[in-house]
Amino acid sequence: MFSKKMVLIVGVIILITVNIILLSFSSKSQSTFGLGRVGLSLVSPFQELVTRSIRFARDIWEHYFFLVSVAHENENLKKSLNQFVGKSNQWHEIDLANSRLRNLLNFQKAPTNKVMAAEVIGKDPSGWFKTIIIDKGKSDGLQKGLPVVLPTGIVGQVIEAAGHYSKVMLVIDRNSAVDALVQRSRARGIIKGESADQCRFEFVLRKHDVQIGDTVIASGLDGVYPKGLRIGRVADISQRNADIFYEIAVAPFVDYEKLEEVLVIIPPQTPEVSR
Amino acid sequence: MRYGFYIGICLFLLIIQTAIFPYIPVMRGMYDLLIPFVIFISICLPIRESLPFALVLGLIMDNLSGSPFGLYLTFYFWLFIGVRFIIKFLRVSNKFFLSVVVIVAVLVENILMIAIFAFLGPVRQLPINSFPIITQQFLWVLATGPIFLLSLLALAKRLNIQWDGAAPPPNAYG
Repeated sequence: MFSKKMVLIVGVIILITVNIILLSFSSKSQSTFGLGRVGLSLVSPFQELVTRSIRFARDIWEHYFFLVSVAHENENLKKSLNQFVGKSNQWHEIDLANSRLRNLLNFQKAPTNKVMAAEVIGKDPSGWFKTIIIDKGKSDGLQKGLPVVLPTGIVGQVIEAAGHYSKVMLVIDRNSAVDALVQRSRARGIIKGESADQCRFEFVLRKHDVQIGDTVIASGLDGVYPKGLRIGRVADISQRNADIFYEIAVAPFVDYEKLEEVLVIIPPQTPEVSR
Repeated sequence: MRYGFYIGICLFLLIIQTAIFPYIPVMRGMYDLLIPFVIFISICLPIRESLPFALVLGLIMDNLSGSPFGLYLTFYFWLFIGVRFIIKFLRVSNKFFLSVVVIVAVLVENILMIAIFAFLGPVRQLPINSFPIITQQFLWVLATGPIFLLSLLALAKRLNIQWDGAAPPPNAYG
């Protein structure tokens, strides 16, 4: 009744349709159906070996052979350190005053988070997505959804955790979204990734005061990133006449091209509520 | 010996794409190096070996990348099917044509990525850096894609790897 060719063509069309449906489902659900850890567990040990070898060779070069610029860099760092010692003292005083005032108002002390250092052993093979592989996984207490940071700012979020390795989606990835606010004016919005050196700060109402140079920090309201963590600096603001929101470009504080070590924040265990 | 060769090549390509090239500024725009390899195994291995190999490679790339799960699996599967169709049914297999296949495959992969962003992404619009990414990858594949594929074929021949699948195209080795 039907020729072989017709059956083949119909079969291909059905296969393509099923393919597209499955792809659209997986892109929306961000699920890997349990298979997401297979590749991490298989390939990441080799990535770690190669990355550590390269860093070892580079460290030998920089520490023993390439000392010409080190003395100069040392002088600059000492000057910066002196400036920050003074600022640190001021912040310490502010912190002490904050604690006294909180005690007066009977604020409960927030439990402190545990921080774990991890090394970056691999990056996304595609230029379209921005993820990294780190050398800590479930056996170290990591799980999906944990924030990854640096002292300079937010790095991203754990999206897959295998036994000893994890995949982290960077803040500059197009699928990333961070609830944020402007430190100075407390204007709230969402930071979305765009490219290696820029993020978009969306849904910031035009009635709020935002200026170029303002620091953007995490609001803590998305339940992922602790409040106050730095994200970036407002680089450009534009307003379209018919829009109620700004179009804001934010330059991240973290240099994502040079990530080598990161910190994963592991929240404390929630204490059981006794009845 | 043969399987060791293939697994070794795969690992090598995966490691340099994820652990070496991202740290070299000029290499960051490199295309997916597994594309020529998938074309290579489509040509040279029997379907019962090459298809699972291509699917496993796709699975591993999906795991290592931040792409939607199944994207690389899908692409490598259809690349495999397309190359087998071209070689077997259209009987076109000379060096020049294989070179064109590599270049077209890289472009198709990028178009697929853009389609994912445009129709299935959280923000349904093209990424602002689409044009630079595609341009860099196109230039790289133009310069190195055919050489890489033909080098794989020549290396396999030098290692006297016996094929028992779709016979290698006589002109592929020159």
